[in-house]
Amino acid sequence: MELKFNTMKKYLSLLAILILTGCSQNESSKEINIYSQRHYDVDELQYQKFEEKTGIKVNVIKANADELIQRMKNEGENSPADLFITVDVGKLWQASDMGLLQKFEDESITKNISPELLDKNGYWVPVTYRSRVVVYSNDRVKKEDLSTYEDLANKKWRGRLLVRSSSNSYNQALMSSIVANLGSENTTEWSKGVVANFARNPKGNDRDQVKAIAAGQGDIAIVNSYYIGLLLASEKEEELKAGNAVSVFFPNQGENERGAHVNVSGIAIAKNSPNKENAIELIRYLTSDEAQKTYVGNTFEFSVNPNIKPDKIVQAWGEFKKDPLDLNMLGEKRAEAIRIFDKTGWK
Amino acid sequence: MEIRSNNIINNRGANISTVFISLLIVVPLFALFLSVFKVDLDNFYYLWDNLLIDYSLNTIYLVLLTSFFSLIFGIFPAWFISTSRFKGRKLYDILLYLPLAIPTYIMAFTYSDLLSYTGPIQSFTRKYVPEISNILNQDYLQIEVLAIIMGLALYPYIYTACRISFSLVGSNYINLCRNLGMSQMKTFFRIVLPISRVAIFSGLFLVIMEVLNEYGAVRYFGVNTFTSGIFRSWNSMQDVDTASLLAVSLFIIVVIFFFLERFTSSKYQFNYSVNTNQESNFSLTRSRLIIVHLICLTPIIFGFLIPILFIINNVIGEFSGINFNKLIDLIFNTLSVSIASALIIIIVGVLFQFFRKISKSRIVIFFSDIISLTYALPGAVIGLSLIILVTSFPNLINSNVFIGSFFLLVYAYSIRHMAVGISPLKSSFEKHPSTYDDTGTNLGLTPFKLFKKIHLPINKSAIIIAFLLCFIDIMKELPITLILRPFNFDTLAVQTYQYAIEEMIPKSAVYSLAIVMIGSILLIFLKNIINKQIDVSKG
Repeated sequence: MELKFNTMKKYLSLLAILILTGCSQNESSKEINIYSQRHYDVDELQYQKFEEKTGIKVNVIKANADELIQRMKNEGENSPADLFITVDVGKLWQASDMGLLQKFEDESITKNISPELLDKNGYWVPVTYRSRVVVYSNDRVKKEDLSTYEDLANKKWRGRLLVRSSSNSYNQALMSSIVANLGSENTTEWSKGVVANFARNPKGNDRDQVKAIAAGQGDIAIVNSYYIGLLLASEKEEELKAGNAVSVFFPNQGENERGAHVNVSGIAIAKNSPNKENAIELIRYLTSDEAQKTYVGNTFEFSVNPNIKPDKIVQAWGEFKKDPLDLNMLGEKRAEAIRIFDKTGWK
Repeated sequence: MEIRSNNIINNRGANISTVFISLLIVVPLFALFLSVFKVDLDNFYYLWDNLLIDYSLNTIYLVLLTSFFSLIFGIFPAWFISTSRFKGRKLYDILLYLPLAIPTYIMAFTYSDLLSYTGPIQSFTRKYVPEISNILNQDYLQIEVLAIIMGLALYPYIYTACRISFSLVGSNYINLCRNLGMSQMKTFFRIVLPISRVAIFSGLFLVIMEVLNEYGAVRYFGVNTFTSGIFRSWNSMQDVDTASLLAVSLFIIVVIFFFLERFTSSKYQFNYSVNTNQESNFSLTRSRLIIVHLICLTPIIFGFLIPILFIINNVIGEFSGINFNKLIDLIFNTLSVSIASALIIIIVGVLFQFFRKISKSRIVIFFSDIISLTYALPGAVIGLSLIILVTSFPNLINSNVFIGSFFLLVYAYSIRHMAVGISPLKSSFEKHPSTYDDTGTNLGLTPFKLFKKIHLPINKSAIIIAFLLCFIDIMKELPITLILRPFNFDTLAVQTYQYAIEEMIPKSAVYSLAIVMIGSILLIFLKNIINKQIDVSKG
């Protein structure tokens, strides 16, 4: 019995220590809790500036969007989350569809944002946007050969197209946009053609696709625009070279064409937000001119404020027409998109 | 009579405690089981038809290949270092442990960067030896390359197990073989390998479970394994229930394999004989010596030196941008969760092995095995299951207190990494004959005294080994931290990964260097303990 008692005592005291150290959370209302999928250095910078300006303490948990969604969902009414930030509008739609978000309207915020990037249902606000573009080898591809996303299924690209895995949410968003624009059947045909054109099995990240073009393993790749910016800003000679070996092409820019696919990194207020006023304050700050300039200068993303010009590297690619599709479709059509990936063998 | 009755009471106590604690550890599985009952089988059939067969075949292939490489990298150096005397042997013995300090995903990102078109090797050849640059220009993101990389990251589990086992096999056996005129190789394959089978398997089992739960590196290499299937249903299809079903299936498969192995190897039961003082050294010819050096150096160079040089080079390049306050903060966080969780694992592990000793009950044996097998589950799934569990009873539990608490995080780590601690403890406790217990009991020792006076001291080094291995493994843990962490809580592993997936590997370097440094220091410490243990048994 002595044994049991001793170990029990040990356990209990350990447990007590752990609970006490873990749960002493500050309950003051001058704070705000964020569940964020974004984990760039620039975000920390933004929160720091916000804290200095308002005195509101910013608490962040960074994880994958799906993990954060599950956490919020299970926490229910008790959830401490005030804001949910993602890098894929599909996940914002998902959260709103699951009833995890609350609507809010604030004209002082939305008036600074391009109207086509706004949520028609009023659940989320875009913070930055990016386009999923085609990059091509300067040596082996002529710009005139490129035209639309649809054309990527053309036989002329057989064995020349590079792209990452279908488990990547940027690809899922692109496929969703094509489902929304062309319908399920046409998209399946398109995906079959694209898969047949793969230079290799999907793998690596976006930057690896660009490197593979430089290495001659393929001629064109589907990547997010800002990765090219990052390569071109790299201090490594070889990365810079790889970045310079390719050019950026915005697809579907013709007169009757819909424009390049864009996705937003967005922010939404959690349904049970305990500090809603502070949350709105942060959204206002992140969409302000000052914060928007900080974003474009650091991440090569595009500002949601049409008056704020992108970084010089990005400006060099020229202006482009955005696909005006309701961005919620990137979430709504997601399930269909996944099945098309699987059916057509896009790994 | 008094002793007897005392024992029975405590055995019952031991049994009940074992079951109770085991339940606490496998409890997340219950949450998964609950979801399984809600599962929409359409999605499961869909996955089965389209992906799962392919994913399962990939998994089997990756497990086999990685096992092969980690066995090669682990067994042979352990054999030569245990049985031959040659210059550099002691240094190799330290260095061979060190790849364990490098997380698998860092190893994967490192090699993909090194081998890539813009990496140093290809850049160099393009500049200076253009003739071979075309040969080197390949797509290295292949399942076979991944298996080698994972083999390099994981072989120390096998090396550790072999090193102890080979040294304990008993020079009697080896000397006998020599007297019978058997060569070193023949002795190794005919005698030592079969005898060490159980030890090797315990190491290999950790390797296999690591391959099964791996997601970051696997995904980066475009290899879809069974775990990819779990995340396919959770992240892409938004179907947590099917994800749970797959996780539970994975767990059941691992349990079946574990007990199958247990069943087939039971006829190989072997007790280490007492060693003589005689050293069992095979002499090496010059050509043999070169081969031995090569065998030992290969895993060291590729598993440790190259990655560490790559990381250090990146740290130097990014030195001006390092935020030292943040670094110290993250080191502190990492150390505190790792120490707390490793301690809990050791307490539970030691207790269980002791209960196993004093109570021969099948229930105790079963449960003390089962708690190791949660290691096969991906960390994110364990995290998710805990969230589901603490929120399933809103009237009973205030989930706010738990989710995002240090407590739940440490609890999750303990569940997940139990296997790493149990493995060395189990081999150590099993090695000591049960006559110790009988003698102790006959001398009138209460179980507690028996534990304190006999088991604690004789298993001391195994306990320290287990603690260090757990500590290092938890320090590298990623997915659990992501899903369960408190606000504003970062660890070295999380920071490393977040830079790495954003394709900013140089920026991640200082954090990975911190992981590797702390890990290496502990491993050197660990190695000294292991060698002391080996020396003690030799003496």
